[in-house]
Amino acid sequence: MPRISRKRMESLLVNAALIAICLFALVPIATTLLISFKGERDIVRNPPNILPCDTPTSAFDWRECRWALEGYERVLAAKPSEGGLFPLALTGNIVRVYIPNSFMYALTTSLLVVLLAGMAGYAFSRYRFRGHRALLVSILAITAVPLLTNLLALYQIGATLRKAQIPIHDDRIFLIVVYIGFFLPLSVWIAKGFFDAIPRDLDEAALIDGCSPFGALMRIIIPLAFPGLMAVFLLTFVNVWNEFIAGYLLVAKNEFKPAMFGLYEFLGQNIINLQVVAAACILIALPIVILFIFARRAFFSAMIEGAVKG
Amino acid sequence: MQQTGIRRRAKRWLRDSLPFWLLLPTILILLAVQVYPALYTVWLSFQERNPAGWEFVGGANFRRLFGMGLFGESIGHTTVFLLGYAGLTLVIGFVIALLLNRKLRFSGLYITLLFIPWVIADIIVGIAFRLLVVPDYGLLSGILQNPALFPPNGLSILTAVPPRPWIGDIPFPPAPAMVYLILASAWRALPFVTLLILAAMQTIPSELVESSRIDGANPRQVIRFIIIPLILPTLVVALFSLTLSGMNGVGMVFSLTGGGPGSSTEVLSYMLYSIGWRQLEFGRAAALALLIAAVNWLLIGGTLRLTRVEERSH
Repeated sequence: MPRISRKRMESLLVNAALIAICLFALVPIATTLLISFKGERDIVRNPPNILPCDTPTSAFDWRECRWALEGYERVLAAKPSEGGLFPLALTGNIVRVYIPNSFMYALTTSLLVVLLAGMAGYAFSRYRFRGHRALLVSILAITAVPLLTNLLALYQIGATLRKAQIPIHDDRIFLIVVYIGFFLPLSVWIAKGFFDAIPRDLDEAALIDGCSPFGALMRIIIPLAFPGLMAVFLLTFVNVWNEFIAGYLLVAKNEFKPAMFGLYEFLGQNIINLQVVAAACILIALPIVILFIFARRAFFSAMIEGAVKG
Repeated sequence: MQQTGIRRRAKRWLRDSLPFWLLLPTILILLAVQVYPALYTVWLSFQERNPAGWEFVGGANFRRLFGMGLFGESIGHTTVFLLGYAGLTLVIGFVIALLLNRKLRFSGLYITLLFIPWVIADIIVGIAFRLLVVPDYGLLSGILQNPALFPPNGLSILTAVPPRPWIGDIPFPPAPAMVYLILASAWRALPFVTLLILAAMQTIPSELVESSRIDGANPRQVIRFIIIPLILPTLVVALFSLTLSGMNGVGMVFSLTGGGPGSSTEVLSYMLYSIGWRQLEFGRAAALALLIAAVNWLLIGGTLRLTRVEERSH
């Protein structure tokens, strides 16, 4: 008997510790949410109060809470505020220009990465050819190469291409190619892992039953590999959405820059209006967090495939 | 008859060369976006920009880089940052993985909640942490700027000057902004490291742990003599990966401190940006990029060797 209760005690303690850790981990997110729903007069207070719920008579009264949507209204505003300190403040641009840009970059890059990583991963998984291992190890090594050190050269190449005035070329295509080059290696590795998990007997059985190699690929392999390719898509989407420095430096025109740049510029212009900055952060992070919560299995499988083996 | 022979041969050729065609786009893109720029950076590090164009200057970029006072200081900042960031993340990640590595009813919920920081962009994490300590109005400023708690004048993280270094020019103890930067970076890296360690822990056969328990090992001994030795390769891989991300991550510095106050959070990655895009000294910045890339490649080589060792042992 005492052994069971000790075990239960231990599990209680572990759960309590984990709940505390989770709460602690969510503090910066919770405070940003909190700030985003405050009005200006509750932001500009010294000393600051955590909840906008105090009255002259009591420190906390839940009926008197002054929750406000002011921050969101100013981010979503169609026009820049004219009376503001910065008449050209980007209020509104985040939603109208930068978020659509980010969406376009993330969607295009991840679709192309899925296609290319699917092709390469399939080749690595199903064929043995000369240089198979060497090529695979090189791709694995490149997986870990960060963007930063190549950025100077990429910036110069981008400037040269811009000067050359190739008819259909613009900075957006260049940025997408750069993103593909940086997120493809990990995706190839992940895709190979998912293809490896599909038994070879299955495609052989389809071939014996009279399926063409292409038919076997479309009817057997692709449906089975779909969760893996979906994981590659989601991971790449999040990575591109969250990328800052390349989008900031490699694109010349502000109207083509992604949301992270918009946020960075916004921060410089609104550092007093904490509620507006917080609301912009929430608006940009929310789609990704929701995506993550609904598709967390795909994320974890991609990450374990890519990180643990790599 | 002959035609079908040709067609069959063409078909066979296509089938035999299929892996090549499947891999070609990937190889081309990696050559264009990864290999060529790396070589270009090497070339760039020996050049200097003139009104007329680029001029070969030999090792002058490296000499001038080493001559910058900020370079040595920045190496110090980077070292302090990496030690704090990697150490903190590994220790806390290990503890959380230990807690999660047992049958819990809500472990799915815990993992989901703990992993939310992982999908939040570093720029946004930097802003979220910055909002907490904005002078006077940040939620933590009420506590931090209280002179009774932090004598003599209270503490304003984003503006406080670094304390006097204990030894020579080594920036230790670090400025409050650097400590805060380490905390914010560790907060974001924690989920990744936790999952890595947890996945390694779950490969340990539970009989091994149970039999050692029966032999009289206490929990601390189980951790010290069974768990840590078995997941050591993963811990080193996690350390390398943290060092890589810490050396090259720049978004958090941008949105949290901007390198300041003064130069107290100017790590090498941020210095690369300032030399390159603020001072427009691309040659000198390329020299710095090469040094960072050399460290990156050492870490990547170490990781490859370790993971191959792991493969062999399985």
